[in-house]
Amino acid sequence: MHRRIAERLAVRLVALALVAFLPRLAAAQDPAAALLRAMEFEEKGKLAEAVTAYREAIRGPSMVQAVLGIERAYAQLGRSDSLIPLLEPLLRERPSDPTLRAAQLRTLMSLGRRDEAAQAFERWLAAAPADPQPWREYARQLLEAGRTAAADSLLSRAQRVLGGGREVAAELGQVRAALGLWEPAAESWRSAVRDAPWLLQAAVYALHPTPSATRAAVQRILVRHPVEPGARRVAASLALAWGAPRDAWTALSALSANDSTVATWLEFAEQAEAIGEWGAAREALVAALQFKPSSGVALRAAQASVSAGDAKTALDLATIGARGLDSAALAMRVLPVRVRALAALGKPADAEALVTAHGRWVDPALRRRLSGAIARGWVRSGDLARAKAALAAAGTEGDDDQTAGWVSLYSGDLGGARRELKRSGETNGEAISALALLSRTKADSAPRVGAAFLALARGDSAAATAALVQGATELPEAAPLLLALAARIHAARRDDIRAIALWTQIVEQYAQAPEAPEADLEWARALRRRGTVGPAVERLEHLILNYPLSALVPQARRELEQLRQRTPT
Amino acid sequence: MIGVRRATCRLGLIIATASAIGARAVAAQHLLVPMDDAQQNHLKAYGLTFAALKLSQKSEWLLNYRGGAFLVPDTPELRRRAALDGVTTVVADDGAVAAMRSEIAGGNMESVVLERAPKIAIYTPPMSPPWDDAVTLALRYAGIEYTTIWDEDVLKGDLAKYDWVHLFHEDFTGQLNKLNISFRDAPWFVAQRERGIATARKMGYANVPALKKDVAERVRAFVERGGFLFAMCGATETLELAIAARTVDIAFPFSDNTPIDDRADEKLEWARTMAFKDAHLERSQYINSMSDIDGHQVNVPGRRQPLGTFTLFAFSAKFDAVPAMLVQDHRSVIPDFYGVTTSFTKATVKSGVTVLAFEEGAPWVKYIHGDYGKGSWTFLGGHDPEDPQHNIGSPATDLALHPNSPGYRLILNNVLFPAAKKKPLKT
Repeated sequence: MHRRIAERLAVRLVALALVAFLPRLAAAQDPAAALLRAMEFEEKGKLAEAVTAYREAIRGPSMVQAVLGIERAYAQLGRSDSLIPLLEPLLRERPSDPTLRAAQLRTLMSLGRRDEAAQAFERWLAAAPADPQPWREYARQLLEAGRTAAADSLLSRAQRVLGGGREVAAELGQVRAALGLWEPAAESWRSAVRDAPWLLQAAVYALHPTPSATRAAVQRILVRHPVEPGARRVAASLALAWGAPRDAWTALSALSANDSTVATWLEFAEQAEAIGEWGAAREALVAALQFKPSSGVALRAAQASVSAGDAKTALDLATIGARGLDSAALAMRVLPVRVRALAALGKPADAEALVTAHGRWVDPALRRRLSGAIARGWVRSGDLARAKAALAAAGTEGDDDQTAGWVSLYSGDLGGARRELKRSGETNGEAISALALLSRTKADSAPRVGAAFLALARGDSAAATAALVQGATELPEAAPLLLALAARIHAARRDDIRAIALWTQIVEQYAQAPEAPEADLEWARALRRRGTVGPAVERLEHLILNYPLSALVPQARRELEQLRQRTPT
Repeated sequence: MIGVRRATCRLGLIIATASAIGARAVAAQHLLVPMDDAQQNHLKAYGLTFAALKLSQKSEWLLNYRGGAFLVPDTPELRRRAALDGVTTVVADDGAVAAMRSEIAGGNMESVVLERAPKIAIYTPPMSPPWDDAVTLALRYAGIEYTTIWDEDVLKGDLAKYDWVHLFHEDFTGQLNKLNISFRDAPWFVAQRERGIATARKMGYANVPALKKDVAERVRAFVERGGFLFAMCGATETLELAIAARTVDIAFPFSDNTPIDDRADEKLEWARTMAFKDAHLERSQYINSMSDIDGHQVNVPGRRQPLGTFTLFAFSAKFDAVPAMLVQDHRSVIPDFYGVTTSFTKATVKSGVTVLAFEEGAPWVKYIHGDYGKGSWTFLGGHDPEDPQHNIGSPATDLALHPNSPGYRLILNNVLFPAAKKKPLKT
């Protein structure tokens, strides 16, 4: 599909160029005018007419465009075989022309005339013995046809003839990757992107399916000394795609700083920001900043830093980003990140003072946004009254349902939380847990449950689990849900013993609750982590047999298969 | 489904695969395991039937009835296993079973009693090469027990301990499928070659081809004495070549340091083989093909044939029960799949061999079966029914993603076939 779009685009561009620069030729009956006509016919889908016009153009200076046009038109008409006799006389005149030769090879391969394609390749080789192009083109065609072994043999021969693999490194990389020879493939791509940096994406695409057990070896090849910028970029893109952002940055950080490297770092930072890998993004932005100071980059680094949980560094970076900005710009661009950082550091009072100091430059919309951050800072400090006050002062009840809803929940005001959180449309894990709780009870007040969620928000997981277990007595109708939440926290802290105790309670006391199958599954996973396969199997079997309609049954069956080693893990 | 009539009788409520054990009164005496499109997990259904046999519970294979259904006793163990494995079962009381038998009696269907779980061995190297084995995958996924054996076990005479033997994708000519052409320096290839040489030396053979020839001879004798043999992919072709070449050198110098016999083709003893005749050896050591037995020649540029589909032959269940068992399936036309040996050229297949599956209009067949001495053999071309291209190094197929694979069913038909009570007469 992309190829067709690209072809159409190319047709249009060439047609436009001809219209712009050769208007008089269009009127005359010469090859260039014929070419223009052919392109117009092709654009309109009049392919038979296009072929006639292209054939007129073939003797002119635009022979290459004409041949490619005929190739396209014939392919769409299902008459690709007609191109072969047309190419023969042209090839007699220009036996080493790569465009004509490649068109011949492509056509023969697409027609399945393999022996003729092989002969055509040999003729091309005879006409251009030192040219790597025939090897590359034929290897590519073989690969496209899925004939990996044949491409491999061809390239082995190319290496002997050309005195090494450098000229066909990209094709070797593709073949080796297709054969699952990942380390040799990485070697080839390392060499290929050295000479042809535009192959970077192709290298990443080819190496991306490397099995996890071999990835480290592939990375070692790409990042080994001497440092190759192209190979390093491939290594970074692969690491990012494989979920190892730190390795990705390590690969790029060794590059010597210059304009081109800074561009690479900024591009990498953009990719990392897009997937929420804030730590890696910050490292790249800080490195770029050191070589090329910029307020914009400093502020992006500050945002990345606070998102990565390093609020202190964010404040330092914001100070750098603030240099040279006027008051209005400071308020609009620097203030939000400073307020976020101060709130995260548990200094909401300082954040409030900062907003006050910039008062005249802060519009109501920004003020509401900032008050939400400040309120979250007060929550973090455990001061719910001041959190509410911050929201009320900015008049955010209507605008920031999310923060207001959380503050209500933390206060144990389930009625308020139900109204505000539902309106906010928040869909992260915490919000879903809170909404699930609110849907399981009609109670409007539950201070112990509120305290549990507050403890969770403050990062005090021990207090949170204790409060959730206590909350189960406060809201018996939601008890299994609260116990399951507590168990999840224990499991996340690798405290499987406490988690298992809660899952046991759920399965035994609340067997009909929707949390029971989940408890079985998580219990089995914990047992598996602990290496106790037999009891883990029992749990999974219990789930499958007792909750046959649960959506977790397929997952349980799959894990049961893996435990019994009946499917690859 | 070949020659299968859609079941018209209603045998009772379909038990949801995860039905709770004991949730209903157990008045029924049998569980019908449908093998048509109602079945949620065809592959594990074979495991369920095998489990019934292991528990000494006589079962029945209802050929051409609901896709080749099974009838197993209704016991708590089997119900539990069906629920855990996600196998669809149908409760059939005496009345329902009687109605079913009446329907079977009136059509191209037959009930074959399965008596005993066969003892299964897979001939496979101790350290797996970088490709999977469809039979091992199928047995493991279905939960069917098997033992692995290798050259030393075969040469010690261990084949006699088993009813059914499957050959992994071994090259019995001892040339490692000529993979040295592309993989001579790959670590797994080097390890495989070295292991072969070490075994040959340890067992007193001059080289690997000599060792493998002797192993092939033991396999041939196993079938002759009454064993069931199932082979896929390159094992089919090379086993037969090795048997035919008992007194001829057909191995290239890279494997035995001696040239191939100039008159090897004419010296091959086809009277000794099970399936093939009059094949011609590939005379170039640089062409990745063994002979013209394989119709597709996947690794030979210029000879490689495209994949099509193959059709299972419809046999009379009452008169040709053995081949009918081997082709029980819920699909009669199955997409083809490559292997080192993908198919069998018709001209090289002996007369008297039963063709189980063929490609319409093609000069090759896909799936063949025959008797040899007191035993029988079945050959299926291709490597992995759910991975048609299958390249070396590809990850193993996860059968949990293909629980209804019609291609894998053919493999499992072979596993249960030796459990049949009697060998019905052929027409």
